[in-house]
Amino acid sequence: MPLTCSQLSVRYGQHLALNGFELSLQKGEIRALIGPNGSGKSTALQALAGLITPAGGHAAIEGTPVASMSRRTIARKLAFLPQQPAAPDEMTIAQLVRQGRFPHVGLFRSYTRRDEEAIEWALESTGLTSLADRTLQELSGGERQRAWISAALAQEAGILLLDEPTSFLDIGYQVEVLDLVHRLSREKGVTVVMAIHDINQAIAVSDRISLLEKGKMRFDGKPRALADSGLIEKTFRVKGRFVEVAPDKPPHFDVELARIIRDA
Amino acid sequence: MTAVSGTPGKANPWLLPAAAALVLLSLVAAIFLGVVDIPAADVVSVLTGGGSPEAHSIIVEIRLPRIATGMLAGIQLAVAGLILQTITRNPLADPSLIGVSQGATLTVTIFLLFTVYIFDPGSNTVAELPIAWLPVAGMVGGLAAGGIIYLLAFRFELSPLRITLCGIAIGAVLHAVAIGLIAGWGSARVEIILEWISGSLYARTWDHALFLLPFTIAGLAVLPLIYRPLVLLQFDAPVARSFGLAYRRQFSILLLVSCALAASAVGVVGPIVFVGLVVPHLARFLAGRHFPLVLPMTVTSGAIVVTLADLVGRLAGGTEEVPIGVITALLGVPVLLALLRKAP
Repeated sequence: MPLTCSQLSVRYGQHLALNGFELSLQKGEIRALIGPNGSGKSTALQALAGLITPAGGHAAIEGTPVASMSRRTIARKLAFLPQQPAAPDEMTIAQLVRQGRFPHVGLFRSYTRRDEEAIEWALESTGLTSLADRTLQELSGGERQRAWISAALAQEAGILLLDEPTSFLDIGYQVEVLDLVHRLSREKGVTVVMAIHDINQAIAVSDRISLLEKGKMRFDGKPRALADSGLIEKTFRVKGRFVEVAPDKPPHFDVELARIIRDA
Repeated sequence: MTAVSGTPGKANPWLLPAAAALVLLSLVAAIFLGVVDIPAADVVSVLTGGGSPEAHSIIVEIRLPRIATGMLAGIQLAVAGLILQTITRNPLADPSLIGVSQGATLTVTIFLLFTVYIFDPGSNTVAELPIAWLPVAGMVGGLAAGGIIYLLAFRFELSPLRITLCGIAIGAVLHAVAIGLIAGWGSARVEIILEWISGSLYARTWDHALFLLPFTIAGLAVLPLIYRPLVLLQFDAPVARSFGLAYRRQFSILLLVSCALAASAVGVVGPIVFVGLVVPHLARFLAGRHFPLVLPMTVTSGAIVVTLADLVGRLAGGTEEVPIGVITALLGVPVLLALLRKAP
């Protein structure tokens, strides 16, 4: 299994941000992490990427504990895109995407034809080939987000962790990113875990969904099972219902513009 | 660092040759011009092995070692400044930010204080003091201060903000202690310290240049090896680590390189202000979006700026020359303001 974790817990001071998180992914699976703000989605992704030392449990790539691997070894197998990463304004898209090859070239090896092809493919997949020489400050929010996705793609890792990859994108680019994720999974067998806010996008694109609330996992299963569980309304404190859109597709969550006051 | 396809656009192919030509030009100007008017023909004959004994001694024993020391120190301060600005992601970083200048000032002060009492020279016999050891004293102090700040910041995961705050705090303390010592001391030796603190190339010999040379060579030799980490350290730690960088190790190595370059240079020429701050900005401005050009432009600009600033200082003051530190400070401020105005 490409990526697993068991009893993963992360503590920030006194606050238990992630509590006994369990995950096991099949190759090529798309997994959505959903949950309210502060439920531990980003923390879970960072712990899976080995960027935070867990208070308990461990994450493993192909059975090897992440904590025992070097950053370069991890980066060849797993690409992680954090939320709103910062980069120097004068850096161009091409330079940013080149950094995705660092785990392959390291400190000394020069870029080969193979590396250039990966960079070109990453730029092409995100529709940025013609913008490659633009600096990041010249880009719109959506283009910048695609540039970062492109850099993650250039790593050519088998596992892709994305933290809210569709935020700040208009609906067109949101669909494009989700479609790209879907193609990577189905055509290249890339395993994807992404934190995402839009429940319907999560239901539409993912094979399985993990629902987090206050650092604890409330649900782990197929989208339809999540729809049947009634957990969405409870966890997000909203009223709504699931509507069937097509017989072979998972239902669509139709939310009412009224909040449930739970603990009042 | 070779240009490969995928590297954005084409950089101006004349930029590096022009910079190299300007290095040579400033070198020639600094050799030919000076307080003592030596006819150009005499300078040429000295350089080709002839010339009058007076011209020979001025060119070979005064001007050349001074220029060489200045160029090497300029390169080192500029590269140290570029590394610090990049890894702390602070455009105002320079060797004083990590306490190197202040640590060096303090040890140089203490060194002179002790030697005055140990050697007990007459009132004006500066020559009897072992000032040959001054660069070593300054370098040790600079490295020690950098080390203390590194250790303090290490407890905070080497966050750029922490290292900046630690550097400012420790630097202020070291500087205050040094100034206190100088003020309370009030001997004739203060002159040496004041000259050193303002940053000066006065009376620098071949020994000074030879002291710096190994550091400059080692620093330039590691540049190709630190280039990729330098690019990645422009990102936040989680991003750099996600790209496969051993953040803590590479940050430490780069900090050590910049500390060694800055401390050895400051030990020899004193804390020449603004070179470490302004030259990297100038280099980035000239290189534009072509990041691979920033390092070579920093190296060449560092040599040019120090050589020309020292030449101005030598010529401007007549027999009482103006220390180079004063020139770089006076010229550095408007240049920095102009460059920062261009920044978004």
